Amino acid sequence: MSPNLMIPYLVIVPLAAAFLIIIFGKMTRPAGAIIASIASALSFTVSLMLSFSIVKYGVLIYKVGGWMPPAGIPMIVDSYSALILLIANFIAALVTLYSVNYVKIYTDTWKYFSLLMLMMAGVNGVAVSGDIFNMFVYLEIASLATYALVAFGNEAEALEASFKYAVMSSVASTFMLIGIAFLYNYTSTLNMAYIGKFIEGNRTAKIMSFVSVLFLAGFGLKAALAPFHAWLPDAYTKSPAPIPAISSGVLIKVLGVYALTRLFFNVFGMTKPVSYILIFFAVVSMLGGGILAFGQSNIRRLLGYSSVSQIGYIILGFAIGTPLAVMGSLFHIFNHSVAKSLLFMGAGSIEKTMRTQDIKKISGVISKMPVTGYTSLIGALSICGIPPFGGFWSKLIIIFACIQAGYFGLAFIAAFVSILTLAYYFKAYAPMLFGAKESLSGALKNNRRQFLTDMPMIILAVVSAGSMLFLAPGIMNILMRLATVVIVNGTAYVSVILGSLK
Amino acid sequence: MNIAVDFLLYAVAVPIVAGIVCLIMPEKLKILTKFLALLVTLASLAASVRMLLLKPLYWPPVPVPALIVDNLSALAGLGISFFALIVTVYSFGYIEKNNGRYFGYLLMTLGSALGAVLANNLILLVAFWGFLAVLLYLLVTIRPTAQASASAKKALIIVGGTDALMIFGIGLLWKISGTFAMEGTRVPLNGVLPYAAFLCVLIASFAKAGAVPFHSWLPDVAQDGPASVTAYLPASLDKLLGIYLLARISLNLFIMNGISNSILLIVGAFTIVFAVAIALVQHDFKRLLGYHAVSQVGYMILGIGTANPIGIAGGLFHMLNNALYKSCLFLGAGAVEKTIGTSDLSDLGGLSKYMPITFISFLVASLAISGIPPLNGFFSKWMIYQGIIESGSGKNPFWIVWLIAAMFGSALTIASFIKLLHAVFLGRASERASRAEEAGVSMTLPMVILAATCILFGIFAFSVPVSLLIAPVIGKSISYIGTWSPDMATALIAAAVLLGILVYLLVAPRKARVVSSFVGGENPERFDRVAGTEFYNTIREVKAMGSLYSKEESRSFDIYDLSGKITALFTRYLQKLTNGVLPTYIVWGLIGMVVMFIVFFIRG
Amino acid sequence: MSIYILCLILFSVGLYCVLRKRNLIKIIIGIGIMEYAANLFFILIGYRQEGRAPIYAHDQVINNMVDPLPQAVVLTSIVLGLALMLLLVAISIRIYEKYRTFDITKINRLKG
Repeated sequence: MSPNLMIPYLVIVPLAAAFLIIIFGKMTRPAGAIIASIASALSFTVSLMLSFSIVKYGVLIYKVGGWMPPAGIPMIVDSYSALILLIANFIAALVTLYSVNYVKIYTDTWKYFSLLMLMMAGVNGVAVSGDIFNMFVYLEIASLATYALVAFGNEAEALEASFKYAVMSSVASTFMLIGIAFLYNYTSTLNMAYIGKFIEGNRTAKIMSFVSVLFLAGFGLKAALAPFHAWLPDAYTKSPAPIPAISSGVLIKVLGVYALTRLFFNVFGMTKPVSYILIFFAVVSMLGGGILAFGQSNIRRLLGYSSVSQIGYIILGFAIGTPLAVMGSLFHIFNHSVAKSLLFMGAGSIEKTMRTQDIKKISGVISKMPVTGYTSLIGALSICGIPPFGGFWSKLIIIFACIQAGYFGLAFIAAFVSILTLAYYFKAYAPMLFGAKESLSGALKNNRRQFLTDMPMIILAVVSAGSMLFLAPGIMNILMRLATVVIVNGTAYVSVILGSLK
Repeated sequence: MNIAVDFLLYAVAVPIVAGIVCLIMPEKLKILTKFLALLVTLASLAASVRMLLLKPLYWPPVPVPALIVDNLSALAGLGISFFALIVTVYSFGYIEKNNGRYFGYLLMTLGSALGAVLANNLILLVAFWGFLAVLLYLLVTIRPTAQASASAKKALIIVGGTDALMIFGIGLLWKISGTFAMEGTRVPLNGVLPYAAFLCVLIASFAKAGAVPFHSWLPDVAQDGPASVTAYLPASLDKLLGIYLLARISLNLFIMNGISNSILLIVGAFTIVFAVAIALVQHDFKRLLGYHAVSQVGYMILGIGTANPIGIAGGLFHMLNNALYKSCLFLGAGAVEKTIGTSDLSDLGGLSKYMPITFISFLVASLAISGIPPLNGFFSKWMIYQGIIESGSGKNPFWIVWLIAAMFGSALTIASFIKLLHAVFLGRASERASRAEEAGVSMTLPMVILAATCILFGIFAFSVPVSLLIAPVIGKSISYIGTWSPDMATALIAAAVLLGILVYLLVAPRKARVVSSFVGGENPERFDRVAGTEFYNTIREVKAMGSLYSKEESRSFDIYDLSGKITALFTRYLQKLTNGVLPTYIVWGLIGMVVMFIVFFIRG
Repeated sequence: MSIYILCLILFSVGLYCVLRKRNLIKIIIGIGIMEYAANLFFILIGYRQEGRAPIYAHDQVINNMVDPLPQAVVLTSIVLGLALMLLLVAISIRIYEKYRTFDITKINRLKG
């Protein structure tokens, strides 16, 4: 079958799984977990196959219903989308497997899996969408599923966090909707390639600045870029443990960073003011996230602020815009997703055994729960930028790219934030992992080792440790190079798509 | 000219792989890890000697190779493998549990350190450097106590943090010189950018070696970590690596000028005096040794800062010597601590009776560190003094200050070690100390070897170490001021010692009656014993020194604590802003949008 | 032109409501107003002069239609807004059960 027929399955499979889980979940207990695992594994396979096809074909387009754009809605996969899809589905599959054991503490687990599948449908949809309003709809689907998932445990703080997240996020979405309205008024089309073609002549029109602000605010909030980050630490505190893992690893990257860069590089064209704004907010995120993480005593909040800080790194790379910087950002997206999901999964296991989220009360994780302890150590080392783990290489590339572009101050700030990251991670994790093995009154005496909980963490730890191999020639390297080319070439995307559409 | 040999790659890779094997070795086969470690370190030593003999070498055989052996690398590499072997043998007796992890980390450290000194590519250097930082952490926390964890964390943050600075510096270097290869890159220090790059990499080397103000991790790690780890890493390997980097910067990568040399001279002199002063009043055996390690680094930096051949040679030779006697001292401290169970000086004393071999090697090492002829410490310090005089005669008027600082430091070192020797080995034994026994062969053998090497390097200084190892690094010939002939001096000193013993035996009274003191039935130990540390209490009473000591104890000089406090200030402010009320958060977002509008308005 | 300004004023009213009102329910209503304003804006953009409803009929002569695309878009958007409202109201009911208050300034256990 021709490869572009695979594209809609990325959305169909999770969506179908969501509804099937609703039907069968009420009948048999394990139905939700089984269907969800199969569906996520399937979508990962599809994204993997798509990556191989992209290397051969370049761009794959699927016209939904056979309608020709701009009247119809196309699903477009180019190398950037393929890369993001690969990372997102990989993490999602592992998190789903991890959730199977975790959600046994809740009743009605089928609801959880159904919502998770809806979220994945939305995420995949954003990544493949070629139409701006279609992207918005999938974005909303994923966000709505997330609001419900954050509140899933029905704890007071989870509900409060979910409410705040929902309100802030819907304000942002409404801004985006108005932005889309203005854009439609200006260009009379919703198809991203045609929009790009239309504004080619007049990129710096006043209306484009206005629309850019709206979109930056909207997608900035989804990406947890400061000052729009405030929902993130709250939402991660009391939600079920796999949720921060998938949110931090997948959602903020795809819904936020991918959508932002897709629009601003390929459709609108990266102009100087946008670049400066993004650099400014990236620096605020890096510093603010790092400084706030310093004083946290709740492990999940600390990891949340760390995510804010790392998103700053990623956006910094994109904002600078040179090929090396973009490559560094893409690689950092990969490293951070892997390591952060690993850390959140580890935090979830620690929480379950130690019955607390307070850093000061936890100690001796490595001796009590060796798998969790060592994998969390690897994840923390990776994000801190310690060789030979992945985070070191991506931060290295970003710092070098800043210097190469002449932004010495930014490079210094990036190096400084790296020191800060090392400080707060080890301030929190060292006593937790290495402290003496005390017996907490509430802690479980025997830690039951469960395969489905351990295996995703081990896989992620191995990937994180070996991720420098992805820089070596191989499928990932090729994919990343192609993605970099797509982004750096900016509005050449338009002509590529229009050419393929004919 | 150059021979490409694969064994370079093996020298780096095999220890790392062996280390990983040790880590995952199953429980029952733990005994194998000891043998594996011994085998690998022996092989590594052999490889280093071969490198020394066959240099220069490079691998792989491409125009810009990844690993290069030149004179400096060979010197450092030899030191690294030698000390790895010594510590491995020592650890057989010292470390009982956690064998797999301990030897695994030890081997990986060996591999990474070799990789770092052999690296020709700056990125490779940084990668190994950072990996070493985390290995240090893991090694110190082999014994999971709370203080070990805290000191290890401090070490990791200081060393790992400066690693990030080094990345920044290397990036700048790349921008200036356009390449990552180290061989053949010479950057003149003219302008802000080269100075910034120089400073960043310099700070990284200072933190690793332990110079002020980045030294604060060293005494803590010395106190809380296992003694074999302290002998391995902070005492020898870190100095070797730190000064190796410093030598690379000053000799190869940058073209030094007056300002950069002055920085080295100032930091070196300050380190010597500051650290030795603090060391005088320490109560803990290992912590005291740690501060001395910091002080000795000052000599090395001072030597390299003099920028003339004999001074630099002296600095490098001191690096080697310091590693020798410092590890001997730490190994001795470890032996004492293992059999008695404490390292608090007030509890020790009179151990020379019970642990004679330890005492003798410790004595030799103390004499060496104090710079007593004819041992090796004297020789390298003497070369450094000559270097200062050389560099000063003519241009730099400050050379008197450096010379005085160095000599003053030396004097205080002697004072400190006399106190140490008295407190630990001489004097009357305390209750606990009388239960001591001599350490096993695996622990005494390394100490004896090290002490013997100190003596050998001192007596045969001209012929063996300097000409073979150090002089090739400098390239130019070293001319000595004044005359010093080690053979003559040794003969004279030996004759003098013999004469002294003869006089003592002849003249000293033979008959003396030893009675115990009358204390009215009380516990005699309370009155009889004066712990060695109490002799130095008078120093505290000098106003200036007293305030210095109280400040050091309250950690106001500790750069780590200071930065922690400053960051906490910012954190508190930002946390107050995050008050948990929803409209606040939305307002932030709106402010962000307003900022964006302004930017577009101005620049759009 | 003035009609668009009025629509955006409606949007600001909604935004003001979300920012300044303390009651959870009022905030939800504010979000509703904002969404309404956004949808309205989209429809207004689609207006063409002398246009009639965009329904294709065989037997009539059609001169001018209003733009049908915004109408499709708004339909989708209204449904999304509906789902959001449902979720928000459900969450606020549960919040009331846990916190015993609807005041947003009192619901701030997560801070710092």
